[in-house]
Amino acid sequence: MTISRRVLLRATIAAGFLPLAPNMGFAADWAALTAEAKGQTVYFNAWAGSETINAYIAWAGEQVKARYGVTLEHVKITDAAEVVRRVRDEVKAGKSEGSVDLVWINGENFRAMKTDKLLFGPFATELPNFKFVDTVGKPTTLNDFAEPTDGLESPWGMAQLTFFGDGAKISSPPMSMIGLIEFAKTNPGRVSYPAPPDFHGTTFVKQALIETIAGGSQLSRPATKEQFEAVSAPTFALLDNLRPHLWRKGEQYPQSQAQLKQMLADGELLMALTFNPNEPANLVASKEVPATTVAWQHTAGTVGNTHFVAIPINSKSSAGAQMVADFLLSPEAQARKADLKTWGDPTVLALSKLSADETKLFEGGEVAGSVKSPAPAIPEPHGSWVPLIEAAWLEHYGK
Amino acid sequence: MTSSMMRWAGFLPLGVLWILPLLLGLWASFVAALDGAGWVSLFSHPQFWPALKLSLVTGTLSLVISAIIAFLIVAALYQSVAWQRLQGLMGGFLALPHLAFAVGFGFLIMPSGLLARMTGLVMGWADPPQWITTQDPYGMSLVAALVLKEAPFLIWLIASLLGRTDFAQMLQGHWRIGQSLGHGNASIWLTLFIPQILLRLKWPLLVVWVYGASVVDMALVIGPTQPPTLAVIIWSDLNNVDLAINDRGTAGAWFLTATLAVIAVAVHGVLTFATTLFKSFYARGPGHGHISSTTGLALLIGLAAIYGLVLLVFGIMSIGALWPYPSLVPTQFRFAAWEQAISSPQPLLNSLSFAVAASIAALAMAIVWLETMAEKRDRYLLVLAVAALALPALLIADGQYLAFLQVGLTGHWSGVFLAHLTPVFAYVFVVLKGPYRAFDPRYRSVSLGLNTSALRFLFAVKFPLMKLVLASTLAIGIGVGIAQYVSVQLVSSGRIPTLTIEAVTLASGGNRQLLAVYSLTLALVPLIAFIAAARLGRRLP
Repeated sequence: MTISRRVLLRATIAAGFLPLAPNMGFAADWAALTAEAKGQTVYFNAWAGSETINAYIAWAGEQVKARYGVTLEHVKITDAAEVVRRVRDEVKAGKSEGSVDLVWINGENFRAMKTDKLLFGPFATELPNFKFVDTVGKPTTLNDFAEPTDGLESPWGMAQLTFFGDGAKISSPPMSMIGLIEFAKTNPGRVSYPAPPDFHGTTFVKQALIETIAGGSQLSRPATKEQFEAVSAPTFALLDNLRPHLWRKGEQYPQSQAQLKQMLADGELLMALTFNPNEPANLVASKEVPATTVAWQHTAGTVGNTHFVAIPINSKSSAGAQMVADFLLSPEAQARKADLKTWGDPTVLALSKLSADETKLFEGGEVAGSVKSPAPAIPEPHGSWVPLIEAAWLEHYGK
Repeated sequence: MTSSMMRWAGFLPLGVLWILPLLLGLWASFVAALDGAGWVSLFSHPQFWPALKLSLVTGTLSLVISAIIAFLIVAALYQSVAWQRLQGLMGGFLALPHLAFAVGFGFLIMPSGLLARMTGLVMGWADPPQWITTQDPYGMSLVAALVLKEAPFLIWLIASLLGRTDFAQMLQGHWRIGQSLGHGNASIWLTLFIPQILLRLKWPLLVVWVYGASVVDMALVIGPTQPPTLAVIIWSDLNNVDLAINDRGTAGAWFLTATLAVIAVAVHGVLTFATTLFKSFYARGPGHGHISSTTGLALLIGLAAIYGLVLLVFGIMSIGALWPYPSLVPTQFRFAAWEQAISSPQPLLNSLSFAVAASIAALAMAIVWLETMAEKRDRYLLVLAVAALALPALLIADGQYLAFLQVGLTGHWSGVFLAHLTPVFAYVFVVLKGPYRAFDPRYRSVSLGLNTSALRFLFAVKFPLMKLVLASTLAIGIGVGIAQYVSVQLVSSGRIPTLTIEAVTLASGGNRQLLAVYSLTLALVPLIAFIAAARLGRRLP
């Protein structure tokens, strides 16, 4: 019997060494990998805060069971940081057979796992279905918060900052940050955003940064504190102008996007924000917001990113995990995910690369609550901007 | 076997199953706290001092106000007809999880809540008022929620102490003497009862205070945000993926715990010294102050009404998808949340098994300790128990996870059981110690005189006499056990789904409907345990 790569990998982990990006063509021999995957159980650690998403993952489980004989177990979590912690502890303890085989991840959690060499791969670009990914039109499929993915994670879906509210109460939604100030002036106490470091709150501040910064290209490069202080002055001037018109005069902020959403549904706020452009439509479908709900994006574009799946380095079912990652990229799975009736998560694929039949899968009608005129997605600033944004926000509004 | 050998044989399970895992958990986080950078960034956090102040203020106010309310109710109803049912009723209040109560109570008082809707109907408001009720900057809504949750706990504890104990006998005697000297009931309580009860309840009172100062889930729902309480900052730091920020959280957790410890020791010292000063207060003539049972009943009814409203709100919320201001009932209904909860019973069964098993084990270990160890040793265990409750669950759980990984306990039911046992035993011991140690020793002398074996005495005399306390302690253990999230998530490696994992992960999406359904289900289990305890306790042996 030859020593498989996985055994070698385990041995290196056990010995305390981590492999230096072993690019040995992990997914090259797909047939062999498929054979290896058969009978494996893949523990997919994924945020479980949405019934529709949980149902979609359950469906994907049935599919990979039928196609590859892989059992998919959805491990329900509230935050991918929990998984980073678990994998980190396991690797620290020298445990080669980890508890996580696949994790839904992006942004700082990915960066942490990549930096700490906690990820298996590269594998993503060698998945058979990766060829359909729109790497040109959706550059964030290769750059996660400006961090190159290096094939260590496989794109799963697209996200873009989107605002929503009840169309019966909002005649003309604000289409820019300046417009938002005017809107808040007219409707004092009815607008707010989650307090950073909540991820949605930080995104809101990023959006303000993008709309005020001169020379946006610097956002894709690492930032220093001095640089940040210089370029963010107009951003905080804008947020200062917005503040007195916010809910509780900007002295208190909701703790999370979930709370913001609830306050909108209760009527306490006029608008909320989300990272899934189709969430408002989902909420209409589950009757959590009125059918008259409208969703919009700022005309000049809003922050957008991609979310991914990755395989921890100590997964004992990495073959099965690659089968799942590939299936999640298939036109069929992507189309079902994009369908507002099941989840409504925008696809990472380029429809132009698909056959006519496959393209047809993506034809969903417009439903209540979907974004009427989509705006361009602006890539996330480099991850190094995030702690600077969080600290500066706290200095300005945390006291 | 010699008695000392027996004592250590009895100690062994406690040492292996509770003390060792707890110390392992504490040790890892203690080592992490030695990192200096975490402390530097903690003290330079712009919200650090105001957040610490908020934590101390909310913890202290909630303890003081809930104690006052508890004593008012207990003093007014002592020796009345309602007294017999008080403990059972409190059990019902205790069953509702803290987080659920905060959400439900929040819905009563928030600007788009029930109170504002009823006011709006009268005033003709179309939009919610801009009241500053929930998430007020001073943390007063958090204090209110804590008081409403802790007052029943204190009443329950006092009622346990005044049950079948030598302490109760002694107070009975004091009661008669006080009355014959012309004291009113308020005077007897103030000068005779309360000081002695406080002395016996100092550990549970400490736990209530520590809980109020370190609670996270309730503070997230109803507490202030800018700045939040220190516990919320610690929680957020510990959840961060950045290791440097984790270290700040670890430093913060130890700082908060140490601060609480220093204050507790200082207060204890001052009170011990002050008792000599109080002597003159006690020595003054009889006071005629009287608390009528009507006052007690009014307070009790007020408390019950709030709990009733919270439960009602939860019931409606669980089927109401959209419930916008100012409507008094939801405008859109949906039953998916209930269907989902009912369709997969496995997580509920898992939760139930772990909670019940951990509570029974905890109760057994606590009884073995209390029967075999001298009372003066209790304090070692109590210090550990309070540390287990004061430090963030994530900190202890993370340390345990690292340790359990080495011995292969992760992803296995045994590890999950131990993770449950850590907080469950802590609560069970703190709660049981007072009434158990106060059990009338004359029963034992009598039965030993009748040549009854020690074991037979326990099962034939002591346990039957104490069954209300034992059964309700078990119910408290079940309530604590069933609410565990962080430790189960980590230690089970996601292999063993429990109801709380389902509930917490689903709630992260912010669906209030699901939260209501799961909270009601979670409350049901301890509620059944409390009702059973109360029924059991009422039947005399």
